[in-house]
Amino acid sequence: MKEVIKAIGNVFISMPKGLFVTFKHLFIKPVTLDYPKQKNPMSPRYRGKHYLERYDDGTERCVCCGLCAAACPADAIYMEPDETEKGERCAKVYEINLLRCIFCGFCEEACPEEAIFLGQEYEFSAGDRDSFIWTKEEMLVQHPRKDNPLKRVIRRVRKVYGVTDKVK
Amino acid sequence: MQGKVGVFVSIGIVMAEQVKKEQAVSGVPMVTATIDGREVTVPKGTTVLEAAREMGIHIPTFCWHPKLKSVGACRMCYVEIERMPKLQVSCATEVMEGMVIQTASEQVLQGRKAVIEFILLNHPLDCPTCDKGGECDLQNHTFAHAVDDSRYSFKKARYTDGTDGTTFDDKRLGPEIVLNRNRCILCYKCVRANKEAFGEYDLGVYERGNIAEINSAPGHEVDNPFSGNLVEICPVGALTNSDWRYKIRVWLTQTTSSICNMTSSGSNILFYKEKNHNKIYRVTSRMNDSIDDGWLPDVSRYGYQIATTEERLKTPLIKKDGKQVEATWDEAMTVIHNRFTEIAEKKGKVCLGGLASPYLDNDSLHSFNKLFRTVFKSNNIDFRSDYRMLPEGADSPYEMLVDQPFTIADIDDSDLIISFGSDLIREHPNEYLRMRKAYNFKRAKVVSINPYAVKSADIAELEVIHSIGRAETVLNGICLAAMEMGLVNNQDLTGKIAPATTAEAASDAGVTEDDLKEVARAISSAKKISFICGEMVSRSIARDTIASALWNLYLLFGFKDKGQMAILPRYANSRGAGSLGLLPSPSDGLRNTLSGLWGCFPESDPNNTDAMLALMRKEEISGFFIIGANPLMLYPDRQFVTDGLERLDFLVACDLFETDTTELADVVLPLSSWAEYDGDYVNLEGKVQHARQAIKPLYQSKPAYEIITMVAEKFGAPLFESIEACRKEVDELLSMTHSTKFPSQFLEVKPCYEDAEEEYPTPLLICDDPHHCGHRTEKSQSLSNFVSEAYIEMSPEKAEKLAVKDGESVRVESPVGKIVVPVRISDCIDNNVVLIPRNFASTQVTSLLMRKRRLDRVKITKVDE
Ligand code: SF4
Ligand code: SF4
Ligand code: SF4
Ligand code: FES
Repeated sequence: MKEVIKAIGNVFISMPKGLFVTFKHLFIKPVTLDYPKQKNPMSPRYRGKHYLERYDDGTERCVCCGLCAAACPADAIYMEPDETEKGERCAKVYEINLLRCIFCGFCEEACPEEAIFLGQEYEFSAGDRDSFIWTKEEMLVQHPRKDNPLKRVIRRVRKVYGVTDKVK
Repeated sequence: MQGKVGVFVSIGIVMAEQVKKEQAVSGVPMVTATIDGREVTVPKGTTVLEAAREMGIHIPTFCWHPKLKSVGACRMCYVEIERMPKLQVSCATEVMEGMVIQTASEQVLQGRKAVIEFILLNHPLDCPTCDKGGECDLQNHTFAHAVDDSRYSFKKARYTDGTDGTTFDDKRLGPEIVLNRNRCILCYKCVRANKEAFGEYDLGVYERGNIAEINSAPGHEVDNPFSGNLVEICPVGALTNSDWRYKIRVWLTQTTSSICNMTSSGSNILFYKEKNHNKIYRVTSRMNDSIDDGWLPDVSRYGYQIATTEERLKTPLIKKDGKQVEATWDEAMTVIHNRFTEIAEKKGKVCLGGLASPYLDNDSLHSFNKLFRTVFKSNNIDFRSDYRMLPEGADSPYEMLVDQPFTIADIDDSDLIISFGSDLIREHPNEYLRMRKAYNFKRAKVVSINPYAVKSADIAELEVIHSIGRAETVLNGICLAAMEMGLVNNQDLTGKIAPATTAEAASDAGVTEDDLKEVARAISSAKKISFICGEMVSRSIARDTIASALWNLYLLFGFKDKGQMAILPRYANSRGAGSLGLLPSPSDGLRNTLSGLWGCFPESDPNNTDAMLALMRKEEISGFFIIGANPLMLYPDRQFVTDGLERLDFLVACDLFETDTTELADVVLPLSSWAEYDGDYVNLEGKVQHARQAIKPLYQSKPAYEIITMVAEKFGAPLFESIEACRKEVDELLSMTHSTKFPSQFLEVKPCYEDAEEEYPTPLLICDDPHHCGHRTEKSQSLSNFVSEAYIEMSPEKAEKLAVKDGESVRVESPVGKIVVPVRISDCIDNNVVLIPRNFASTQVTSLLMRKRRLDRVKITKVDE
């Protein structure tokens, strides 16, 4: 008899209590996003798709020294150097195989010229494997560029290394 | 004496070891010192650095080089020596009795760190763009000494001229060399090597103090034939070459040890190839003290580009309706089989002939030999395609002299070095550097006997320039002078040689009597002689006469006990081809061994290249197989060769790229270069060296050995069960102790002169350009950056007489042909002689030559615009 009364009590007291919590959430802002209609801003140190920086005058920063490729644990970077008309070193081919890349950011760390950065972009699915090999042209930032989302991070990194270049 | 020995000892660890052994016997004092607590005993004169290296203690250096004299320019090699107030540079301090040396004490490390800090004051540290990055001594030492910061807070001094004020400062010093003065640490290694080792003065230090800089001599380019070494020895990235510049990072490469295929000494080299790519990026030296001493002539360094050039033949070609079209290997083999069988059935097997290239390895040459002798049953086989020949026997005086033992390292300790009929820089650059070394370090006496003033004679104590075509008279004159002066007791020679007196010989040869006497005196007083004969002997049609005269000299002065005399072979495996019996009539010993190995040896008439070409013209040889050779470009009288080859029913030619000869061929097969397969080569000393495969055969090319065995298989007669079986036969042949033969008595030498003709007054010499070798190097981009077209080299007087300036074209005519070439005026040539290099296909210089002539004479006229 005692158990029967307890069970009836549960139905009429505990359950509405629980349902009330559920009901309350109808009026609270949801934690999930309606992706892809909505997008979460990434943390400034997020390591997404790589991009190659330029100097203010538009010349490529990358001199094809090969240190990123040497640092890369996944062996994802391939490059071939070339000589500019002026006789300076530059990259003829610079490719990153995104299927191999583990987004560790070592390349960014290794780069002595502050040329490669891992950006914020993470949407790069594709239908075939070849499209995962990104070339230099695809990774170079536009010149002149509109704005640089990583301005603050880069500025801080540069400060550590004592480089006083202005970041656009 | 000891002083000299001291200098000599300081040239290298290995050398020091040898010297130690020799000198411990000869009683040179030894000294004992303590280095890092360990005792070491070395001959007096050894430097602290060498003594330490011998013990396995590494002392960092910048300016020291084992083959150069020490200067103590960089101060990196500091050590602490007890009872000496300051740190000492170990590379310039000799070990003394009882010295106590510390190579890694606190003070030493502090000192070295300070040196690096000083060097880095103005160093740009642009390692990311520097080609030396990864193999840079400065990087390594900086890292090892933990120099992580600079206390210098001013702006670094930079050379910025030439550009818009950036730090960019690359300056092209020569066709291949680029200098970045900002990176230079002024160790002077390049300048010293250039002067000491190569005898070139086109690079120097200019200005003093803070603004001192390395630069090329005003108005000159650094284009000497050894300039590639400067790049290799520069400890930093100041000197780079276009070959390697901005091509690849050194840590991405793998090295393969190999040997050079360009010179006959077989310099030891390293190929650098990328790990994942089938491509060679550069060649550096792999120091071998007994052969190359660590120096590579440019042909050896840049010669590898003949393998990597885009012009390589990519597939087999078969001639159809007068045009060569691409085909597969199978098709090509079928055609070869069908046509050769057809010809053999029609005319008998001896109507086939073969010509191999002396650049090929032992396995290929041996299998070629076996193919012809056992499958085609023919003695029409040869490997010489670049000089005039007469019918010959196996034991001619010349052949005996070619077989003489010769040791490159022995040039070092000779006190008399004679170069006879040889422009050493062009023909034997390694031996030339040896000669310079003996001269620099041991004050060896150098004598040069040549028909024109060769460049290598600048260190010669005595330079005898004789009339061209009178080589044997000079030799006879020397013998006569020795007899007349009573330097030798033997008088048996009298009557065997003409002319009969020194005076006559001198006037015949166009030299002075004193010169001949001087040479005779030098030879008879020398203790150890190296007598080097070169191409002007071996390419002359009178080579047997000259060789006889050389033998007389050999016997008269008793060379057997006091030196070496040899006619040096010219190509990478010339000596191997000879020892493997790739001649129409090999010596009896070889013949017996070969028929023992194969169970048969053909009886047909032996025909050498010349005889084969003559038979082709008579249509008695109708099928011909050329592998690697290019007779059309090298064999005298182009017309004769063309006629011969064109009259053939069927010609197979294999080469790396299209040549004049392959153009005439019915089937062209792409050959792999020596970097693409394993092979053994016999260098001029008779030493067998192994060249490792660096890359896989490019395109559809195949190594010569494979091509030959494929042909044999097509004929249903496989040559060997495996390549090992072939190597076993080769080993057996090479290990045959064919006793070097000597003539037992003096030989008769009757000089044969050719009279000058009025119409064609100027003697012409054909030789290699110092930057090229044979018919292939033209395709090397770097080498053709130095010289890419033929020229006619003449003396300023001659040019003045013809009223031509440098670079203007002249018409060169001989009785059989004419060509037009630009003039190059040179102080190094003289004696009314002119010289044209034979390395450039487009010039067709062989069209001027005649087959049976000792001297080529030409008429030169100015081309009017
Ligand atoms: S992020 Fe890491 S794995 Fe990806 S390319 Fe850079 S170094 Fe390689
Ligand atoms: S020479 Fe080149 S690699 Fe060496 S420290 Fe200088 S810049 Fe760096
Ligand atoms: S160029 Fe190189 S080898 Fe020559 S002095 Fe400078 S650092 Fe030394
Ligand atoms: S190596 Fe001794 S001073 Fe340079």
